[in-house]
Amino acid sequence: MSDLPQQLINGLWQGAALALFAMGYTLVFGVLDIINLAQGATYMWGAFFAFLCVTKLNWPIWYAIPAAMVGAGFLAVLLDRLAFKPLRSLTSGGLVLWAGFIVFLLGAVGNLSQDIKWVTIVSGALIMLGGFVLDYRSGKPLRTREVPHLAPIISSIGATFILVSLAISQFGAQVSRFPPNLFPVKPYNVTAEAVISPIQVLVLGLSLGLMIILSFLINRTQMGRAIRAIAWSERTSRLLGINVDYVIAQTFFISGALAGAAGVLLGLAFNRLEPNMGGEVELAGLTVIIVGGMGSIGGAAIAAFLVGMIRVLSVAYIDSSFRDAFVFGLLILVLLLRPSGIFGRSKTVRA
Amino acid sequence: MKTRSFLFLTILMVLFGAYPVFDSSVANAAQTNTLSGEIPIGAVWSLTGDAAVYGPSQKNASELAAEQINKSGMLGAAKIKLITEDDRSTKEGAITAFDKLIKEYKVVAILGPTLSNSAKAADPIAQAAKVPVLAVSNTAGGIVEMGDFIFRDSLPEMLVQPNTIKQTKNKFGYKKVAILYGNDDVFTKGGYDAFKKALDDQGIKILATETFNKKDSDFSAQLTKIKGLKPDAIIVSALAEEAASIMSQARQLGIPASVPIIGGNGFNSPKLAQLAGPAAEGAITGAAWLITNDTPGNKAFVEAYHKKYGANPDQFAAQAYAGVYILADAIKTAGSSNPVAIRDAMAKIKNLDTVLGKFSFDSRREPVHAPVVQIIKNGQFVLFK
Repeated sequence: MSDLPQQLINGLWQGAALALFAMGYTLVFGVLDIINLAQGATYMWGAFFAFLCVTKLNWPIWYAIPAAMVGAGFLAVLLDRLAFKPLRSLTSGGLVLWAGFIVFLLGAVGNLSQDIKWVTIVSGALIMLGGFVLDYRSGKPLRTREVPHLAPIISSIGATFILVSLAISQFGAQVSRFPPNLFPVKPYNVTAEAVISPIQVLVLGLSLGLMIILSFLINRTQMGRAIRAIAWSERTSRLLGINVDYVIAQTFFISGALAGAAGVLLGLAFNRLEPNMGGEVELAGLTVIIVGGMGSIGGAAIAAFLVGMIRVLSVAYIDSSFRDAFVFGLLILVLLLRPSGIFGRSKTVRA
Repeated sequence: MKTRSFLFLTILMVLFGAYPVFDSSVANAAQTNTLSGEIPIGAVWSLTGDAAVYGPSQKNASELAAEQINKSGMLGAAKIKLITEDDRSTKEGAITAFDKLIKEYKVVAILGPTLSNSAKAADPIAQAAKVPVLAVSNTAGGIVEMGDFIFRDSLPEMLVQPNTIKQTKNKFGYKKVAILYGNDDVFTKGGYDAFKKALDDQGIKILATETFNKKDSDFSAQLTKIKGLKPDAIIVSALAEEAASIMSQARQLGIPASVPIIGGNGFNSPKLAQLAGPAAEGAITGAAWLITNDTPGNKAFVEAYHKKYGANPDQFAAQAYAGVYILADAIKTAGSSNPVAIRDAMAKIKNLDTVLGKFSFDSRREPVHAPVVQIIKNGQFVLFK
C-alpha cells in the first residue's frame, strides 16, 4: 500500500479532466433534455485544433489551449444548428446551412484537384455562414415539430460519424503526437515516493479553475439565469422575452469549450491523439453524468472524481482487466439504489 | 441481393475446392526440369491499411533482391519475375491475392503475407494447391503448423526472447522483474508467453504481472504499482504505440533509468524512438537482424538499399531480402521451377549465407539463425553489449 499516495494523485488528475468533459455533457442535458453523444467527437476535435495550432501555426501551447476551446465551442454551436435545431424547429436558414455543409464536406473529402477543392471548401463555408445568419434571424420556423425523444440521440450519433471520418481524412487513422518538449517533463515530488508532473498540475489547476468559472456563470450572471429559466421551461422563457435560440447557442458553446479543454489536456498528458479517442471518454462521461444525476453540474464534477479514482484503484489493487467492469458496476449500483443519480433532483429544480 | 451473393459465394467455394487440384496437376506436368525463361514468384505485402508501416520496405527489399539475383546470373538463363500484390492488411485481401497469384499467374512460390493474421487465412490455399509459401515477417505461433508447404525465415518470439533474457541478465544481473503486457492481442500475449517461459527457465523471480488493453492510453496505475515493488528490470510486451506511452509514463512517474525496460517484438520498430523521444533511451529488445550486423553481404545490402530508396532498411526489409535469396537458392538446387521440387529443396537448406546470418530450416520448417539484442542509444538501435 506504500504506493497509495501516488495512486490517489493518478486518480485525482484524471478525475479532474473527466469532470471537464462531463460538466459540458450534463449542462446540455439539463437545458435541452438531449444527450449529445457527439460530445466525444467535439472533445477529439478540441485536441486536434490545438494540435493544428501547435504544428501548423507554431503557436505556443498557452495560446493553443484557449484557441482549441474556442474552436470546439463553435463546433458545438454548429452541431446544434445542424443536428439538433432542425429537429426542434426547421427554418429555411437551416436548409441553406445544410446545403452549405454538404458542399463543404464535398470539398474537404472529395477527390478534387487542389484549386477546385479550396474553392468548394470556401464557398461551402460561405453558404454555411449565410445559412447561419438566416437561421438566426428567421422569426418564424417553416414548421415546429414534436420529434420522438430518440431522434436527437440518433442525429448526434450521425454527427459523431461525420466528425470522426473528417478527422480520419485529415489526420489519418494512426496516432498523432504533439512535438516533444512542449512541456517540462521533470516531475515534482509531492511526498518522498509520490510525484506529479507539470502537465498533471496544469490539468488539475485548469479543471478546478473552469469549474469555479462555470458555477459562477450559471449561478450569478444574467446568462446563467436565462439558461436555468430555459431548463425549467422553454415556453415560459420565450413568453418572458428570453432569446431562447441565442441562449441555447451559448450553452452549446460552453459545453463544447469544456469538452475541447478536456481533449487538449488529456491529449497533452498522454500525448496521444487519434480520431477515435472520443469513444472511450464518452462512455466514462456518460457513467459520470448518470451517477452524478442527469443535469446536475456539481454532481457531475464529484462523480467524475469518483469514477477517476475507481478506475485507477481497481487497476492498482484488483486487476487491470476489470477496470471498466468496476466503473459500470458503480453505474448499476447507483441506478438500483438511486435511479436519479447521487445528486439528482426532480426536473423542476434542475440546472 | 441475398440470393445473388449466396450464389457468388457458392461459386467461389466450388472454385476454391476443385480448381487448384486440377490446375496444379496440369501445370506440374507441363513444367520441365530445365531452368529458363521467367520464373514467376508471388509476393503479398500490406502496402495499405493498418500494417502499411511494414509492407513498403518489404516490397522494396524483395524487388532489390530479385533485381540483384537476375543481374548476377545466379539462376543461369532463368530470371525471377516478382509479382507483388497488396493485401490491404486484411485477411480477405490476402486470400484474394493468393488466389490470383496461384491461378492467374501460376507462381511457383509465394513470399509473405506481412501479417500473421492474414497468413492464417491465406496460407491454406497455397498448401492445398501445393505451392510453397515463405513467410518473412510472421512471428506468431501456428504458422508452419498449417502444412508442409509453409516455411518462414522470421524468428518467432519463442526463439528470440530466451537469448534476450540471457544476455541482459548477464549484463545487469537482475534477479526480480515485473511484467506488463497487453492481454487482448494475440501478438503481445504471445510475447508475454515467450518471456514468461524464458524467465522461468532461467530462474528469475516475477514480482508482478500487470495487464492492459489495446488502445489504452493511461498506464500510470500499473506503473505506480510496479514502481512500488522495486523490480530490477521491467519486461513489456506491447505494440510500438503503447510501448511509447509506457516508456514515457514510466520515466515521468520517476522509475529510474537504472531500471532497464526490456520489450518484445513490438519494440522492434524505429517508430518507438520517434514516438517516445528521449524516454525511449535505453529500451532493449531482441531482434532477428540489426543494421550494423557483420553477417555475409549485410553491408552491401544496406548500401544498395540506401542507394536505391534513400532510406535505411529495417528488419522487415532484411527478412524479405533474405527470403528472396532463400527461394532463389532452393530453385537453383532443385534445378526446376516445379513448386514441389522447390519445396523439397527448401526443406533441405542448411547453413546458407544470408544477411540474417548462417541460415537453416529445422525439421519443422522453422528458421534457425542467431538472434541479436539491441538497445536504443541516441534515438537509434545499436547492438547491446
